Amino acid sequence: MDEAPIITKGRYTYVHDVRIGSPEAIDVHHISISRSVTDFLSLCSYALRLAAACFPIFALMQKTMSVYDLLMLDKPVAIVFWSFVVAGLLIRQILRKQVKKESVIILPAFGVQLETVYRSGKTVHQFVPIDKILKSVLNECVTPVTCYWSLSLIIRGEDELLLAFKGLYPPITMLVPIWKALCAAIDDKKGADIPSDCDNR
Amino acid sequence: MSLQGKHRILMVSDFFYPNFGGVENHIYYLSQCLMKLGHKVIVMTHAYGNRSGVRYMTGGLKVYYVPWKPFLLQNTLPTFYGTLPIIRTILIRERITLVHGHQAFSTLCHEALMHARTMGYKVVFTDHSLYGFADVGSIHMNKVLQFTLADVSQAICVSHTSKENTVLRSGLPPERVFVIPNAVDTAMFKPAPVRLSNHEIVIVVISRLVYRKGADLLVEVIPEVCRLHQNVRFIVGGDGPKRVRLEEMREKHSLQDRVDMLGAVPHAKVQSVLVTGHIFLNSSLTEAFCIAILEAASCGLLTVSTRVGGIPEVLPDDIIVLAEPDPNDMVMAITKAIDLLPQIDTEEMHNRIKKLYSWHNVAKRTEIVYDRALKCSNQSLIDRLPRYLSCGAWAGKHFCMVMIIDFLLWRLLQLWQPDRNVEVVPDSNLTSGIWVQMRMRYNW
Repeated sequence: MDEAPIITKGRYTYVHDVRIGSPEAIDVHHISISRSVTDFLSLCSYALRLAAACFPIFALMQKTMSVYDLLMLDKPVAIVFWSFVVAGLLIRQILRKQVKKESVIILPAFGVQLETVYRSGKTVHQFVPIDKILKSVLNECVTPVTCYWSLSLIIRGEDELLLAFKGLYPPITMLVPIWKALCAAIDDKKGADIPSDCDNR
Repeated sequence: MSLQGKHRILMVSDFFYPNFGGVENHIYYLSQCLMKLGHKVIVMTHAYGNRSGVRYMTGGLKVYYVPWKPFLLQNTLPTFYGTLPIIRTILIRERITLVHGHQAFSTLCHEALMHARTMGYKVVFTDHSLYGFADVGSIHMNKVLQFTLADVSQAICVSHTSKENTVLRSGLPPERVFVIPNAVDTAMFKPAPVRLSNHEIVIVVISRLVYRKGADLLVEVIPEVCRLHQNVRFIVGGDGPKRVRLEEMREKHSLQDRVDMLGAVPHAKVQSVLVTGHIFLNSSLTEAFCIAILEAASCGLLTVSTRVGGIPEVLPDDIIVLAEPDPNDMVMAITKAIDLLPQIDTEEMHNRIKKLYSWHNVAKRTEIVYDRALKCSNQSLIDRLPRYLSCGAWAGKHFCMVMIIDFLLWRLLQLWQPDRNVEVVPDSNLTSGIWVQMRMRYNW
């Protein structure tokens, strides 16, 4: 097996892996995002701000509420403690939703598997049979504040494009080799097929 | 890598395809002709319904439909600084050298020009319409225009009347304003192959039926002309709030068989309607430049128009009859035009217009303006602020504050997302394949 080429740009790392499979080699492309120092600092500042937002809410809670006594909210120390607990829980929820790595696994003549690995350890898989893929495209997405490249698959019978990378915004240098590999796999499949005219649209 | 002397232009306006109109057509045709001259042109406008994101038009003209919702009369919601991030991203990723804004009424244009100046780009502004001075709306808009034009590199107006109007409204020195008239696509607007008989005279009116376009004048003029000349018929194309008045006039004078109301005519069908007539009637109350009469003349129609704004500058005197915006004067002008009809040669008129007006000529002249704009010196914020201070006692200070805050926001944005992190789009030539270019650029 050849040495896996690695491209690193900013916080994104691209790894291309070719695994021995049957009948042909399986093409695997991973893109992962690393945590940076600024990330950690901004997380701390978010936590502090959320905690500060919780102080007045707890302080204003009425004595008549049952949780008031349970949490001992008449003491200022308790208010500070519970504020940090709530902020910590909210931050943990946000972190769980963060994507750590996304992969595109091309199984030639079979299909494409899209994997998303979250920081919480959860992995989500999505398999698309090769027959259902019409084409893979590199799209420029425009939002009200920015413009970025995305790799998508046009699926037969579907109105919307299927994004290959749902949580990450990798740079174009990393998307192009994956796009090339997808196009090659789709073209190979088309070439091998007997042309049929059943277009169900 | 851009070629020597070739520019990378960003056209910005709230008005573009799929809307049809003078400004929209101007931007489209000018962009196509500039691309033929070797320049790179990108257009930026707001999203129209589902049409959002990047689209490519004929010749590889790239259009950014930015998803900012229009809030009033097709204009994007003015947020002062809201569009700074997306404009900065587009300017960096497309490696733009010059920003060209269109139409004083477009909020997106004003914001784009402000941000482009803050970031050090050269800007050119084209004004397409005439505006008043007296009402509240005009006073406000003139102040906004003064702000934008205080620091513009060059300005373009579509007629000398428009130049006077713009210079008076904005206080811009006249030396910085160029006059480049609009043009017409003479390949599309051709006369009928078979000459119409003069037995029945057909007068065509195609315009939006609104107050500004003189629809109220038509209500007075049409019955009088029908009364005086029995062999005259009218074809009225277009829609708008004043259509009801025209329908009522038709009923009142029983002119159903002599006045055809076609409703809104799609731009692609305008030529087919024009060639069914002998005379084109334009009753606008104000026009900076009237492309409609140019289209009519290109189709071989004799034009009767109100003498307002820049209209007298558009056509030679022998193919247009001008009148004051008064019903009696217009009726006399129509009578004069009917008498002149036998002398008109439609093919000769079309050829004349072809020689006088062409979008390629407009593009070449605009290129000269761009070259002049790029020769202007680069100035820092401190050097530019005095220009804003001179806009007024209170307004001047306000404008300076706006520019200082814009500058600070830009610097913050550069800290948060440095310029080098914005990926540059490779040059694409659609005929040779965008992806071939990308492979060459990214080396794989």
